[in-house]
Amino acid sequence: MVIHEGDAERINAVLTTFLGESGATEALLIDRGGQLLAMTGANRALDTVSISALAAGAFSSTGALAQLLGETEFTVLFHQGNKESMHVSTVDDQAILLAIFGERTTVGMVRLFAKEAATAVGLILAEARAKPKVTGVLATPLTKDESHTNFGESKKA
Amino acid sequence: MAIINYAQKVINFKVVYYGPGVAGKTANLQHIHKSLPDPSKGNMISLAAGDDRTLFFDFLPVSATTVRGFTAKFQLYTVPGQVYYNMTRKLVLRGVDGLVFVADSQWDRLRENVESFRNLEENLREYNYNLDEMPYVIQYNKRDLANVAPLEYMEFMLNRRARQVPYFEAVAVSGDGVFDTLNTVSRMVLVGEFGQEKGEHRETA
Repeated sequence: MVIHEGDAERINAVLTTFLGESGATEALLIDRGGQLLAMTGANRALDTVSISALAAGAFSSTGALAQLLGETEFTVLFHQGNKESMHVSTVDDQAILLAIFGERTTVGMVRLFAKEAATAVGLILAEARAKPKVTGVLATPLTKDESHTNFGESKKA
Repeated sequence: MAIINYAQKVINFKVVYYGPGVAGKTANLQHIHKSLPDPSKGNMISLAAGDDRTLFFDFLPVSATTVRGFTAKFQLYTVPGQVYYNMTRKLVLRGVDGLVFVADSQWDRLRENVESFRNLEENLREYNYNLDEMPYVIQYNKRDLANVAPLEYMEFMLNRRARQVPYFEAVAVSGDGVFDTLNTVSRMVLVGEFGQEKGEHRETA
């Protein structure tokens, strides 16, 4: 999918409102395949790439658990820590919303406003997915040099 | 599913290392993690059981190239190889853009390789992904061992679809063939997503 600058701004606005209302410190919008789509919140060094991969993994495995019980999925996943906690909830069938929050709010507040935020973000994502994927500078095919990657040294077996 | 973020000028791809248990999928990621300089890699996460076998997945984000101003990032995952972990294996495939099938070259593991490849085809079908359209390569690992099957035989067993894909001999624990595999699959993923100029050879073809 493609997230254009306008989509990113709208998503960030929704997430910023969500943080203000819920009292959460960070909000991460994550693709269910494990990739971070957008993030808003406190400016601290979190490994958001790893958090996204692990949260998507945890959410999908609880989804599989739900199916073993005959449920479609568990729509909310909550991890409680001593000082910080994590709330993960469904946005749509392709994305989830993760909120990190501390002691200045409650899981109930986060849950309440996460639902509203998820609905708003879901609409933006649906529009984004409907747009053509390769546009602008990426619209023309790559040259051989452009598709070349150079990870590490080559060692032959 | 590739995610192109115009705001951050980043393109994210997901590449999954698939194959039977103890074939060397995690060893591939460990060598990549050990060898790449810090700016090109993130933290490696391994969700392993007590006996070091992968329980859910390994995860390593890497980046090596810029495409028209966009940083191309590849998120590398492994799956648990053991037959009984199929449910978690299937979950990891969600949103995959490219695959590396890591085969164990030893004679006594040939059946597991073939079963794992069939299992890959089945799991992809459940997501409506088609292996005929998916960028993938095959890595014949453990070529340093004494009891390995000839390359031609491995090819006959695993690379016999209408579209023959690039393959690599490897000794993942020492890094042989690891980066050839990664560079080829990442190039195929880029070409698969954006195409390549006419008149040039398409490695996915």
